[in-house]
Amino acid sequence: MTARFNLQRVLLTVLLLFVAAIVLLPFFWMISVSLKPATEPFSIPAKLWPDAPTFANYITAFRPEFRTYFVNSMIVSGATVAITVTFGTLAAYCFTRFQLNVLSLILGLVVLAQMFPHAAIIIPIYKMMKNAGLLNTRLSLIIAYVTVTLPVAIWMMHGFLAKLPITLEEAAAVDGAGPLRTFFDIIVPLSRPGIVATSVYVLIVTWQEFLFALSFTSTKEMRTLPVGMNDFIGQYGIRYGELMASSVMVSLPIVLVFFILQRQFVAGLTAGAVKG
Amino acid sequence: MIKTDKWMIWAFVGPTVLLLAVMMYYPMIGTLIESFYSTSFINPKPEFVGFSLYNKIFSSGNFGIVVRNSLAWTIGVVFLQNLIGFGVALLLNQRLPGQGIMRALILLPWILPGVVAAILWRFMYDPQLGIINSFLIGTGLSNTGIAWLAQESTAMIAVIIAAVWKGFPFSTLVFLAALQNVDREQIEAATVDGASALRRLFDVVLPAMRKVIVVNVILTTILTFNYFDMIWILTRGGPRDATHIFPTKIYQVGFGQFRFGEAATYGVLSVLMLSVLVAFYFIAQGSGRNKRAKA
Repeated sequence: MTARFNLQRVLLTVLLLFVAAIVLLPFFWMISVSLKPATEPFSIPAKLWPDAPTFANYITAFRPEFRTYFVNSMIVSGATVAITVTFGTLAAYCFTRFQLNVLSLILGLVVLAQMFPHAAIIIPIYKMMKNAGLLNTRLSLIIAYVTVTLPVAIWMMHGFLAKLPITLEEAAAVDGAGPLRTFFDIIVPLSRPGIVATSVYVLIVTWQEFLFALSFTSTKEMRTLPVGMNDFIGQYGIRYGELMASSVMVSLPIVLVFFILQRQFVAGLTAGAVKG
Repeated sequence: MIKTDKWMIWAFVGPTVLLLAVMMYYPMIGTLIESFYSTSFINPKPEFVGFSLYNKIFSSGNFGIVVRNSLAWTIGVVFLQNLIGFGVALLLNQRLPGQGIMRALILLPWILPGVVAAILWRFMYDPQLGIINSFLIGTGLSNTGIAWLAQESTAMIAVIIAAVWKGFPFSTLVFLAALQNVDREQIEAATVDGASALRRLFDVVLPAMRKVIVVNVILTTILTFNYFDMIWILTRGGPRDATHIFPTKIYQVGFGQFRFGEAATYGVLSVLMLSVLVAFYFIAQGSGRNKRAKA
């Protein structure tokens, strides 16, 4: 019995190692190639680690346009996170606390909107942006990103706020606090874990958004990192070293944020999904 | 119930209502209207053409390919992503050495920006320099390497594998959280009754997770059906349309050829097809529940 149990454990551990290899090998390969000197050729079978690792690819890849894309991505993502999470928290609060038919209808429309393919609505939005003179601006991306991330943000905040006991607000009301003060002094501080989780999710989505950025921006000054990376494929040809170095630099900020806030993020994300 | 303050409610919900109306519902209706008008780069003035764009698309032969590809892509990715995601969740739910670290690292592919993931896979699939072909040649499984993305027979499988790699950690995350909510006592009772691990899985764990699985399958179906980045970077819909799905086709027709009317028509058709897919799940789920209730 114990022998069989141990064998089973060994087999499962081997399986876990195999999964780990599948998940992590591409990352390892990405970092390995990013450190490979341009002079060192690709060989068959592939060498797993360069003979003389160097940061040269990073230095070449960190060219002025890359820096511009980086700044654009930070501005667009930062603004989107701030606006989406604010709007989302305000709306989700109403959906969880006030029972009005019109609010249920709006919540239904919010959920339905998640099904709209971005590719299907992008042309009218493109024309609106064009008429408003907003094409090829960061503002056009921020507006689009807030719109497409808002439904999920409301959904996540809804899952979180629904679990906050209403008794605290009732106590505050008895103490004579108005609804606005109750919201800002009691609900917002208590919602911090939910706000953090939602912010990380919105950041992950906007940091990588590609379709709107590709369609709305036309000059290097306005492009974000994903579109910039797409341009690099053409420009760099098969200079994979530089391509991988910029890939690492694009991914690093989001991976760092994720690992710092992982606990709260996972708890917040799964709370809504599991409750379903 | 706390006091309802109408003014506050509208101030709080207002921005959301405004954005959804102007940026989601108005464009959706706009797309529908656009699909009845013909506009092109040469002739930018809209001209009402009725259903002729629909007729044009239905009779072009492209449409059948896009529908078939969208189905293969969506079902392939959703099925594999959730199956693998569930298997890995079961694995991470055991007390195994190193599973703490793996729970943290498993999400890496999902956080990785889609464009970066796509570039990475494009590189790994490279016939000369890619690590996949290097492995195949090194182990003697292939003599020359396979041009995964350049031939019609392998391109779809290749893009599906890349998308599953990127997407399955999300399913694992959701299923892992749900597994921890399954009633321990029920599992232990089944163990005492002599049920094997497989029986426990099918009789206790899966029924308890039914709702989570259905919600996650619907969610991943919507996300996958609308997923643009991976295919666009890996193949641009090629070779010879072998991987064109609705989002890539809409982008190509709209922003590549500036045939906005036709792109909008594809957009309307894509919404219809996605609705059919999602409705199908709801019906399947409903009939499954009825059967269980009767048994």
